[in-house]
Amino acid sequence: MSTGITNINNMAPELPLQFSEDLLSTPMFNLIHSFGADLHYAEAHIGRNIRMSRYERLSTNGGQLDGSGIDPAPEVVVRTDIDAKVEIYAKTVVVNEQVVLWENDKVLTKFTALLGQWLREKEDLLMRDLYASSVSYINATGGVNGLQPSEISRADVNNIERILLGNDARTMLEVIEAEDKFSTGPTRDAFIALASTDITTDLQNVQGVLLKNTYPDQDGLRPEEYCSISRFRFFVSSKAAFIPGAASNGSTVYTIPMYGLEAAAKVEQNNYTAILGYRPPYVVSSVAQNSQLYAKFAIGRAITNQNWISGLNVTTRL
Amino acid sequence: MPFTIITGGSYTSTGASQVIPLPSSADMFETWNFTQIGGSGTVCIGGKWFGPKFGLGQSAYNDGIRYRIAGSNAVLEDKFSTATASNGFIYLTALPMVEAQATNAITAITAANPAVVSQTNTYSNGDILRIYNTTGMLQIAGMDFEISSVSGSGYTLLGLPATASNGFAAAATAGNTRRVGNTLLSPLAVNPEMMYVTNISNATQAVVSTSVDPSLYYSVGMEIRLSVPPSSFGMNQMNGLTGTILAVNAVMAAGNIGAYNVTLNINSSAFNAFAWPASTASPTAPLFATFAPAGASTQYNPVTNTFTGYDFNLQPFRTANFTPCMIIGGGAASAGGANLDQINWVAYKFEA
Repeated sequence: MSTGITNINNMAPELPLQFSEDLLSTPMFNLIHSFGADLHYAEAHIGRNIRMSRYERLSTNGGQLDGSGIDPAPEVVVRTDIDAKVEIYAKTVVVNEQVVLWENDKVLTKFTALLGQWLREKEDLLMRDLYASSVSYINATGGVNGLQPSEISRADVNNIERILLGNDARTMLEVIEAEDKFSTGPTRDAFIALASTDITTDLQNVQGVLLKNTYPDQDGLRPEEYCSISRFRFFVSSKAAFIPGAASNGSTVYTIPMYGLEAAAKVEQNNYTAILGYRPPYVVSSVAQNSQLYAKFAIGRAITNQNWISGLNVTTRL
Repeated sequence: MPFTIITGGSYTSTGASQVIPLPSSADMFETWNFTQIGGSGTVCIGGKWFGPKFGLGQSAYNDGIRYRIAGSNAVLEDKFSTATASNGFIYLTALPMVEAQATNAITAITAANPAVVSQTNTYSNGDILRIYNTTGMLQIAGMDFEISSVSGSGYTLLGLPATASNGFAAAATAGNTRRVGNTLLSPLAVNPEMMYVTNISNATQAVVSTSVDPSLYYSVGMEIRLSVPPSSFGMNQMNGLTGTILAVNAVMAAGNIGAYNVTLNINSSAFNAFAWPASTASPTAPLFATFAPAGASTQYNPVTNTFTGYDFNLQPFRTANFTPCMIIGGGAASAGGANLDQINWVAYKFEA
């Protein structure tokens, strides 16, 4: 072996590292709690509580005229009012000029994207909390894990379908018709179910489950969709609702809101749906060294018809 | 490391706990009781809470440093947790607040109205507990209850008429608890929230008993929809009905009616009797009986010149608790002081 070789030990690279051409992905959870809600709008300058009203149907009892000329008794129309309070949420990032100047990345652009992601994630969690708090859930009992509630079963899903159909709820998703493809099956017009990713193994074991890949047509499906069971199509998120310690033995309970059309509402304040802004250094800092990015949005939320939303409390088995 | 005062203020204590919404997270918080400073009683004159950025970590739940008078111009420092009937600070950044399982287990829950729980504890009146592992009373395992008449060895569940005629054949002999809220902190993130039903009377105006005081969330004029799993609770006719609240906590506890209740415009006289499934029927019985908010029908009474269904403090769907917030415990030995005490409070944050 000869000596005097110029190698990496006696001549290290001038720069110890190089910056990869692409940033890695920022984690983002599935946003499943907003798309099934009805969208309403609140105007400015007329208060922060928005009222959504529904006229209840008239009684179908009686009504036949007996020919005497006496009019039937009039029925008083009942209006149900659902109120929602509009609330404003915001997030801000203050950036020192030295970061902007020397960071390899265009940080202001990237931070703006982060704020945009926060905005939609926060909105999703707020809608999740509405479903988790203000809806009556029924404990699943068709499973075999011996807990109250049990893991999800076909019988439990069918029970919720019976409740919703019995209350004249309307399905939200359309039929996916059968096609001549191996191992696929059609899905009926369906209600929506929102579940935690923690129960996906149990979902796979429900009798009659149709996993998303076995739908005859994949066009237009949301990436968050997981499967179809009976009249429900399940969408999953790692941030779906759960209740610590609410099972009979103290283990975690997962709530699965299951609903149809017009069960819940999301209220957007006009011109406050999504505001992204920038405050330059000479505004934020007396020596013009810090700038500020912010995101802001206003939202109201409500369960607009309790008859058209139900759901299951479940635990896990697998 | 320098501090910035992020907010401050004062209030006149009612002797109860006080919630202070904070515009941003806090690193230190303190109170001073200007009524008691300079006095001679052995009462709390101030308290201090430390956040997680301090090396020793965040002050424990309902705890903090307590300054109290020990007679003749002497001031002692200790922790709120060193004394019974002493409440410190609860700092909350998100809802729901769910504590870890309590160290000591339940040893008994009486089959009576109201049910009385035996458990060595440090709870306070108005705390909301999630109770589970209730051997002998499995029907209630997983439910939330508001507690009262708290002593170090037990408390009362005013919302649970656990009588034999309500389906409770025997006392519970074991159980575990987690604190999930109190009268100031909702156990759920959005109000008005669903509530657990513990009984429904047979009456021309049905009285629905609840496990938690409904006056925290519901008012006269609001509508609720009941979910009563028909195969479990007897009164299957009530399942799915929507009713208007005529009164809140107006009916005295007796028989199967608990102290927490709402009166509805639903005639349940001819309905089957409400009764819990037997403990042995769990876990196969569909649970629980609940109700959830279903809006309001605004009514005007020209005789009394009053509207119902307009309570904007309770009615609109909204965030249950503003977070972050600081809850200052009330009471003479506590950070929040006794009735009519003048309390100053300050929230600080590290500048960097």
